Amino acid sequence: MRLSRHLTDPLIRSNPVTLQILGICSALAVTTSLVTALTMCAALIFVLCVASGLISAIRRHIPQSIRLILQITIIATLVIVIDEVLRAYAYEISQRLSIFVGLIVTNCIVLGRAESFAMHHPVWPSVLDGLGNALGYSLVLVVVATIRELLGSGTLLGLPLLPTTTEGGWFVPLRLMQLAPSAFFIIGLMIWAIRAARPEQVEHPDHRLVGHETGAGP
Amino acid sequence: MDRRRGPWARFLARSNDDPMKALGIAGLVALASAITVSTAATTLRPRQIANVEAARQLRMQAMVDELPGLRAVMEELGVTELQTRLVDLDTGRMLPGEAGGFDPEAAARDPETSIALTQEADTAGLERREAQALVHLLERDGVPMLVVLPVRGAGYQSTISALLALEPDLNTIAALTVIEQAETPGLGANIESEAWQALWPGRQIADETGAIRIDVVRGTASSTYEVDGISGATRTGRGIADMVRFWMGPWGYGPFLSRLRQEGLG
Amino acid sequence: MTEILIAAIFTDNLALSFFLGICTFLAVSQRLSTALGLGLSVIVVQSITVPVNALIHQYLLAPGALGWAGLPQVDLGFLRIIVFIGVIAAMVQLLELLLDRFVPALHRALGVFLPLITVNCAILGGSLFMVERRYDLVKAIAWGVGSGAGWALAIVTFAAIRERLRYSDMPQGLQGLGSAFIVTGLMSLGFAGFGGLVR
Repeated sequence: MRLSRHLTDPLIRSNPVTLQILGICSALAVTTSLVTALTMCAALIFVLCVASGLISAIRRHIPQSIRLILQITIIATLVIVIDEVLRAYAYEISQRLSIFVGLIVTNCIVLGRAESFAMHHPVWPSVLDGLGNALGYSLVLVVVATIRELLGSGTLLGLPLLPTTTEGGWFVPLRLMQLAPSAFFIIGLMIWAIRAARPEQVEHPDHRLVGHETGAGP
Repeated sequence: MDRRRGPWARFLARSNDDPMKALGIAGLVALASAITVSTAATTLRPRQIANVEAARQLRMQAMVDELPGLRAVMEELGVTELQTRLVDLDTGRMLPGEAGGFDPEAAARDPETSIALTQEADTAGLERREAQALVHLLERDGVPMLVVLPVRGAGYQSTISALLALEPDLNTIAALTVIEQAETPGLGANIESEAWQALWPGRQIADETGAIRIDVVRGTASSTYEVDGISGATRTGRGIADMVRFWMGPWGYGPFLSRLRQEGLG
Repeated sequence: MTEILIAAIFTDNLALSFFLGICTFLAVSQRLSTALGLGLSVIVVQSITVPVNALIHQYLLAPGALGWAGLPQVDLGFLRIIVFIGVIAAMVQLLELLLDRFVPALHRALGVFLPLITVNCAILGGSLFMVERRYDLVKAIAWGVGSGAGWALAIVTFAAIRERLRYSDMPQGLQGLGSAFIVTGLMSLGFAGFGGLVR
């Protein structure tokens, strides 16, 4: 019923990354390979769900004046916990994620959902909303990481899919995919694709040159 | 009517604008976070340290396995791993006995067991260097068959630590294995790839005059002193080159290696 | 030191090569004037917080940092994230108060941006990179000033480009966010060209 909308809406319709430009910061640098992206997603899902739930649970007792610092404290605590857990149980990957797990603290999705949703809704919808937004973010991350790893090194999750020329195959890895700009291009094109399918998301320009009408309208 | 409720309920019933409540809530949240964070950190610490140690061991084993013919020599000598010794870096003298449980980074932090490096000397960006360091050796009849030196230095965005293995001539690199790094994923982090590390064996460190020549160059190597850089990660490559040059030089294992050349393991 | 400064502005640009602060970068770059205000605020905050965090890290949090208190074995590194974000939030508040009290004109210009900065990952990222790369105080100052200036340079240039793009005729789906990403990508490629600037 309606509750499930909190979960499914943020996937495409109000995706935090492609529509609300939230939380891209820390994410793009870890999308050079799928396994780091997946770990990052798992960390964000944990932090976002738990933070939303906790903040929602104590929302009636959070004084307005110190609410931001309280929210950040709770989020930072959760991030430290997940960072320590990763370093204990997924050492190899945590080495590759470097400082980017720590940067979940400043991921605008977490604070944004806490501030705009969890502060005004009961625990259960808040957790679902957190999960939905985290999954929407994960969807973008996984797509970008899949493209970058596959075209950038011919592998997926480290398994060789396209035999590269260095291994005697035919595929020449695209160096660009390993570099920062490719992530921007891929997301830009993704947004284009989503908006082509869902025209209601198109941003209309607030300026238009007089006499520069393009055949489409009067 | 407040009497019927406990102090806790009365506290929660206060207005959110009440400074007492703001302080109280802030204190409670801070306390809860403090407990969570310190519990997580202390319970997971041993596991994290074990991870680092296990990774170190694994790389060492993998490196030994990579080196052609080394396993055969070890089997012939009846040993399964290299012996680990402590070396006084200033004099280059080996200290007696096996070294166990020595932590070079902790030693480098403690002013009692380390020296501060001057800016000119500190090409690897270490600031302090431990007075004693570990070396791993395989010897046959007093001659070193393989010398493995732990090295570390500043990369592009992290500290890189690695094991540098030398052939018996103490000038030819047998292998370089990166143990720890947090360079840019996909670019600098490729120093951990087998393909890049395979470029190192056979490279020479110093020329006939003893000048240290080893370098990581942009593009393709043109001499036996050069290793191909990783495109897009010039500064990671430079970090590695500076690190190797520092540790092979007078402030690193230089005195130890020249003593080893002159006197052998005796 | 100059090397760190130049690298921080051009080759290690926080926004364009590490994706830090990209949310704000894309959201607050519609107009050149606001971008300029935000850029200035980032320079100010970054130049203060990175050195302050460097001192805190050096004397409190780094492994063995508590040696002066007779506790050389204590390692409070795990508190880094929470302490840094606290310092950033406190510094932003303090700066807001000081500006309001002493330079009200500047406070009116930058006031709206300061709260945004607490959650700008470029600020926290700057401090975390400072630790990862083991900068001392002098290098931390250079890195703080440089990385702030680099971020400001990126957003001001980007806003200028977007002001021009507003009048361009592009496919509907690309209008706004889509083109913003692609332009950022092109800028990032351009900045990669500075790669040879610092050996």
